Amino acid sequence: MAATPMPLEARNIKKRFGDTEVLKGLSLQAHKGDVITLIGASGSGKSTFLRCMNLLEQPDEGDLLMHGDEIRFKQTQRGREPADWKQVVRMRAKLSMVFQSFNLWAHMTLLENIIEAPIHVLGKPKKEALEQAHALLERVGLTARANAYPAQMSGGQQQRGAIARALAMDPEVMLFDEPTSALDPELVGDVLKVMRDLADEGRTMVVVTHEMGFARDVSSQVIYLHQGLIEEAGPPREILANPSSPRLQQFLAPKY
Amino acid sequence: MLDLQGYGPRLIEGAGVTLSLALLSLLLAIVLGLLTASAKMSRNWLLHKFATLYTTVIRGVPDLVLMMLLFFGGQMALNVATDALYDRFGVDWYINLNAFAAGVITIGFIFGAYMGETFRGAFLAVDEGQIEAGRAYGMSDWLVFRRIRFPLMMRHALPGLSNNWMVLLKTTALVSVIGLSDMVRVAAEASRATHEPFVFLIPVALIYLAIASVSELIFARLQKRYNVGFGGH
Repeated sequence: MAATPMPLEARNIKKRFGDTEVLKGLSLQAHKGDVITLIGASGSGKSTFLRCMNLLEQPDEGDLLMHGDEIRFKQTQRGREPADWKQVVRMRAKLSMVFQSFNLWAHMTLLENIIEAPIHVLGKPKKEALEQAHALLERVGLTARANAYPAQMSGGQQQRGAIARALAMDPEVMLFDEPTSALDPELVGDVLKVMRDLADEGRTMVVVTHEMGFARDVSSQVIYLHQGLIEEAGPPREILANPSSPRLQQFLAPKY
Repeated sequence: MLDLQGYGPRLIEGAGVTLSLALLSLLLAIVLGLLTASAKMSRNWLLHKFATLYTTVIRGVPDLVLMMLLFFGGQMALNVATDALYDRFGVDWYINLNAFAAGVITIGFIFGAYMGETFRGAFLAVDEGQIEAGRAYGMSDWLVFRRIRFPLMMRHALPGLSNNWMVLLKTTALVSVIGLSDMVRVAAEASRATHEPFVFLIPVALIYLAIASVSELIFARLQKRYNVGFGGH
């Protein structure tokens, strides 16, 4: 029997900015229900790798597959580009991203933010989108802020709102780009709790984070990147408890 | 009492010409401005050069000269083209460039260049993260433009847009040189004929002022609408 295709697979992704090669051949396989955390020092390429997965950055080499469906690329004068942008748009609609700086649309209320893409990208009827949005707001504890604009909300509220926006797409894989790095320490917990619940209900997630507690307790796989390469990868209990690479040992060591 | 000595109806007609000329030119200028801003921000080298040439020429040559160039020169160019059609293919076709169209095109082109700069600055002021979020959620370029980039850009563009509109409105007075009977031309004629300039010029000034005041109100409303979510005013 053939194995079910993975929701998301990246093979041998390479990326350079000018003369600097930031990703030197990275691969990742996200099976259904996997929570993969990418860790590493700043500049290790973890965010760039994540952004290559929904093509906010164009990888110079390597393949991306969703359910075994391969994204097609072509070479142009400006470099490698997707051959079919419609395919990319379809792919992105199944990959919701949560950003470090939230990026809720500033001119829309939280509720409008949540129903925007379901209505205009997925073509959901407005009534249905609104019902779903209210349910999601309740779930992230923001029912009272439905009609607030992002500028009127705290960072933690904005990020929980952004997670609700991501969930409204019924995504197959959720990408988190350092979701708690821009938050005040006392607001981090609420956001992590929401993410923990998502992991518990079997969501497939790829998370770039500095939260070692989250990586240890929640993820099924941890990938440690160093200078654009995978230095060590495996289940958190193995690699975080007993890192074999000296670099990872140093990375995990208490800083003060 | 104000006695317009029979010039009243023509003055009102002239005000209509001024207003419709200004509104149509504004429309053309906004379209050209958006195109110019996009061209200037595009990675396409040729588009960029072309847009730069356009704004440089327009901003460096007096409006009056441009208007006469387009009106007289434009007619000559059209004549050459239609003559060539007749000689080559026997097509007998004459196009008369009317003064109103020439006025709209010239003013539209002039202000398109200024609007281009206004829009470019406003587009650059939009936080790139907002655009990225749109892309990441599967929006096409057009959808991102319509739902995110444009409304966020307008907040930054409106002050410049409103300023350009006020200048444009007053620039319409230049069309009298190409024979269009806007309200300034009617007033000038009437003043010469009756030797009573104030009787005609003060109402004209007041009409301009009225249009400008109404515009201020409209722009204030737009500003409020596009500032939604940003607090302040």
